[in-house]
Amino acid sequence: MRNRNGWQRVVVEGAAILKGMAVTLRHLFRPPVTVQYPERRPRVAGRYKGRHWLTLYADGTERCVGCELCVIVCPSQAIYVKAAENTPERRVSRGERYAEEFQINMLRCIFCGFCEEACPTGAIVLGRDFELADYRREALIYTKSMLQEPYPGASGRDPNREV
Amino acid sequence: MSTVTLTINGRTVTVPKGTTVYHAARQLGVEIPIFCYHDRMPPLGACRMCFVQVEKMPRLQTSCTLEAQEGMVVWTESPTVVEARRAILEFLLINHPLDCPICDKGGECPLQDNTFKYGPGASRFVEPKRRFPKAVRLSPVLTLDRERCIMCWRCTRFGEVVAGDHALKGHDRGYRTHIDVPPVTQERPSKFIGNTIAICPVGALTSGVYRFRARPWDNRPVASVCNHCGVGCATWVDARGGEVVRVRAREKAEVNDIWLCDLGFFGYDYTQHPDRLTTPYVRERGVLREASWEEALDRVAHALGEAAPRVAALGGERLTVEEAYLLGRLFRSLGSNHVDARADARFTPSAREWAWGSGTFQALESAAVLVLVGCDLTEEYPVLWLRAKRALDRGLVGVAISPKRLEVEPYLKCSVLHDYGAEADVLYAAACLVGERAGGLPEPLREVDVDESCRRAGVDRAAVEELVRCLEAGPAVFAVGRLSWDGPHPERTLAALQTLQAVHGGQVWVLRGKGNAVGALLAGLVPDALPGLVALDDPQARARLHEVWGFAPPEEPGLSTPAMLEACAAGALRVLYVAGADPARDFPDGALWHRARAGLQLLVVTELFWTDTARQADVVLPALSIFEREGTVVNLEGRPQRVAPSRMGPPGARADGEILQVLAARLGRPMEYASVGAVWAELRRAAPQLDLDRPTELPRPRPQVEYRRPAAAGRQEEGLWVIPAAPLFRQGEMSARSRGLPELAGTPAVVLHAQDAAALGVDDGAEVELRAGDAVARVRAEVADRARPGHVLVPVGFSQLPRARWANPELRVRIRVLEGVSR
Repeated sequence: MRNRNGWQRVVVEGAAILKGMAVTLRHLFRPPVTVQYPERRPRVAGRYKGRHWLTLYADGTERCVGCELCVIVCPSQAIYVKAAENTPERRVSRGERYAEEFQINMLRCIFCGFCEEACPTGAIVLGRDFELADYRREALIYTKSMLQEPYPGASGRDPNREV
Repeated sequence: MSTVTLTINGRTVTVPKGTTVYHAARQLGVEIPIFCYHDRMPPLGACRMCFVQVEKMPRLQTSCTLEAQEGMVVWTESPTVVEARRAILEFLLINHPLDCPICDKGGECPLQDNTFKYGPGASRFVEPKRRFPKAVRLSPVLTLDRERCIMCWRCTRFGEVVAGDHALKGHDRGYRTHIDVPPVTQERPSKFIGNTIAICPVGALTSGVYRFRARPWDNRPVASVCNHCGVGCATWVDARGGEVVRVRAREKAEVNDIWLCDLGFFGYDYTQHPDRLTTPYVRERGVLREASWEEALDRVAHALGEAAPRVAALGGERLTVEEAYLLGRLFRSLGSNHVDARADARFTPSAREWAWGSGTFQALESAAVLVLVGCDLTEEYPVLWLRAKRALDRGLVGVAISPKRLEVEPYLKCSVLHDYGAEADVLYAAACLVGERAGGLPEPLREVDVDESCRRAGVDRAAVEELVRCLEAGPAVFAVGRLSWDGPHPERTLAALQTLQAVHGGQVWVLRGKGNAVGALLAGLVPDALPGLVALDDPQARARLHEVWGFAPPEEPGLSTPAMLEACAAGALRVLYVAGADPARDFPDGALWHRARAGLQLLVVTELFWTDTARQADVVLPALSIFEREGTVVNLEGRPQRVAPSRMGPPGARADGEILQVLAARLGRPMEYASVGAVWAELRRAAPQLDLDRPTELPRPRPQVEYRRPAAAGRQEEGLWVIPAAPLFRQGEMSARSRGLPELAGTPAVVLHAQDAAALGVDDGAEVELRAGDAVARVRAEVADRARPGHVLVPVGFSQLPRARWANPELRVRIRVLEGVSR
């Protein structure tokens, strides 16, 4: 530490305080960062990772083939998949296999996005929705009917895209 | 043995002459990728994956086919080799669809692993790939995807080399080459097709039963033992979330090597079938109703206590040895020796003399001749056939003495087909010829007239002479199977066998008993012996048991199954406890069973399903399956192996051992153990010869020469003689509830010889009516030379052909073609 006498200290440290106060003062006249949730809704970033969607192709078939790569990559073991076989009468996905059951335990999920990264068909995407709270634990195990996007493209993923 | 020394990657290794470079590298811990080579089959060199560079050799060499030579210098990681592997993998992947996400092999696929480790990251091939229709169901349990196939030929070679059933073959040529079933379809499905799924290095052959049920990382593998037939193959049971999704072979060189049969591979879904019993039932006013465990056990304990010692127990093949031991101990504590594990046998000689079971399977490798006496090996103990096949390939001489043509006949040197029940005549004739050649005919055999015997058995003398020539190779293993043991004159057959054994030399195996039957006999579920098959009056054993049990077992020998049922019918026995057996369906004399049931005060059954016996019972207790309990099972060799639970049983079901302990406590004869291991430890004190994973020496009769004359009663000439021949795939309570197996079993067909078929006007595939006394059945008829003239092969074990009615060895049948329904 350099030795300063009393006056020198008053000037240097006082300037620092004024510098800090200037920041406060500047923000006093800017619009606030705080969002008045839930009255007002925040805008999330373009690559925000929120609740998952199982996406569809434009023809309505499911992208998911039940390969379980998301299951094995998931660091919090939040995903359960049970596969079944397509039949000529009931073709759910392309190829021979589809996910008969698909569950994500939202209590466990850490929204890392590895599942999306591992998915070979681009079936699972993490959407923008973050309002996932509930009063019951059971309600936070999302089943296939909850995860599936309501119509092709609803999740924001282009249904005409191959993968 | 001479050796060669070679250098691999700069390190020297010495191997026996004849070793391939691939194996020499393995010995050094050097990994060489392979696809087509499989160490249970000879090298082929089809896939070119195992390339290595050998100095002074102009081109890369396939290490799986290259024999190591003295002074060879081999490089497995040189730039040329690495580049060649990348190129091979790129070529293999040209036509591979890369649909790993929907492929059941994904995650445990050698093609994935090798590509990841040695392959190129990307392909330069942009042209359209070869296309085939996907997911062809070759059989109910086998799905073929020809796009994924890399033409390694493992599956076809398995059928040629290991199983001998030629179930799969290559078709077409060039880039259209593909695997398919042979153009001439086989009469019966392969019994070993699951192994081709296991050895397929890609996802071309996948299981139709396991299909899409789990990925390898979902499964929790549990080391266990298959308990269907008596071979006791080691298995891995893969369970996912309380459901058994697949069974795989576990390597065990002494028993199953790395193979399983399809019953073992696919016979597991019954354990999670909704038909499983989950609550006890008791009979009240003639109707079975649900009851609590308390009530059911009270009723059983009360009845046992009241009726003791006039109580008896049947069954044991589906128990563990520990449970069988507890069952024996409980009934002996009640003063009864009436316990028998041979619940489906009409012929029950003393187990101290003729115990079920074989010698060690490895003895096949050192024996010179294998004589199958009424033993349809592939239908009864399929994996034992794989061992026999290997021994036959290495010089064992195979001989069959059988009333039906065996599936494995092409691999045998000689096959003597005789009239049903006349194997003793063949054996005596052979013994005479052997004795004559040796120079001295033992006294009792002087009375045998070889020509007369041959005539009686319906065989040519030349066939018996051929058999005797085959025997000249050396000591034999005589394997007696069900066709003889359950045949018309088993005592005479066994006497004849002892005679032939005496004049020729060798050992006799009794290939009879499923599951843990041999273990149950060893654990004491036999009326005339103590645990360990010790004589009932052995003072040392009695003293030891007294010390362990606190009481000595009764001295009077008990009754074996048929006598026991007679006693039940006569009212001499009051309570019958049936543990995991179905005598109402399986005991070959249905009428006797019905009389026995009528004479009983209380019939208790522990079961998994509503079997015929359970439906007739007074108390039904839901038990656990082999996938749900802990313990030890013993195979035909007397080899105890551990089974481990891979899933929880249905709520409400209890292990047989637990049921027995509760009953014992209620009867005031407590049997308390801290664990299953404690029961095993106590059993080992009573039967010290039992040792985990070691074959047990089973009592065998001494070779002795004795001539028994044929039974005086001549054959009735009317009608065809029924040969009850239970196929491997049938409608058992368990098989019928396992996915894939009912389709493999198909619809039963009786087999007639063309001569009889012509006389009766039966066409192949016609619907016929069988009538024998009051037993009537309508089934399909097949005309094939598996049956001999005058005989009809009846596949017992189907709902329309139950053993109780059709397994009587004295049955003759009239056959009528049903008009209008023939196909």
